[in-house]
Amino acid sequence: MWIKLIGCLLVIISSAWTGFSLAERYNKRPREIRQLIACIASLGSHIYYVSLPLAEALERASQIAEGPVRELFQQTALHIHTTGWLSAGQAFQKALGETSEKLALNKPEQEILLVLAAILGTVDQSEQQKQLELAMNELEKVHKEAIAARDQNVKMYRYLGVCVGLATAILLI
Amino acid sequence: MGLDILFKIAGVGILISVIHTALKQAGKEDMAQLCTLAGFAIVLLWVVQLLSQLFTTVQSVFKLF
Repeated sequence: MWIKLIGCLLVIISSAWTGFSLAERYNKRPREIRQLIACIASLGSHIYYVSLPLAEALERASQIAEGPVRELFQQTALHIHTTGWLSAGQAFQKALGETSEKLALNKPEQEILLVLAAILGTVDQSEQQKQLELAMNELEKVHKEAIAARDQNVKMYRYLGVCVGLATAILLI
Repeated sequence: MGLDILFKIAGVGILISVIHTALKQAGKEDMAQLCTLAGFAIVLLWVVQLLSQLFTTVQSVFKLF
């Protein structure tokens, strides 16, 4: 009897937890995209007005973000700094590969970032500024979509997690 | 057979209806339908077993072979 009860509780708790963590991902995504936009804006001003080298500009731009986004920019700066043969795009790709497990970003925004990173450091300042603005506009669109997806999905995943756990427990009893 | 199977069926019914509503609100009507269908199938399995029990009982009571 007790073992049954404990097993049921474990099933319910684990599936509710799964539901909540999936919902949390949807919650985190718009926040991280907003941080990315802020970072890119800051990176733009560091490139255009302060004329810092790319690694340093990335390092400074990362200061206004927190969590995984900050780590992404810092890793990129680190890779550019330490491994001289990598281009900015390759360094960014490498950093994205290292931090993508912690980031809640999906394919579209990752592609926007990779396209932007491939251009960084290969053209002159005003052209880079243009590309940064383009990427910011694209990210703004993705941000709106992410907010719509969040409003739709967060509640659903929470309900689903708990209900599926309860249903499994009933089926197993 | 006791009352517990009835409670089980009732519980599954309630949970399936909640899941159906949650999925429908999130705009996934097809998944909601699929989920309801799955719940219906599970409950149908139980009910069919109960029905077969009922028929064997009737057979043994009236000695129809």
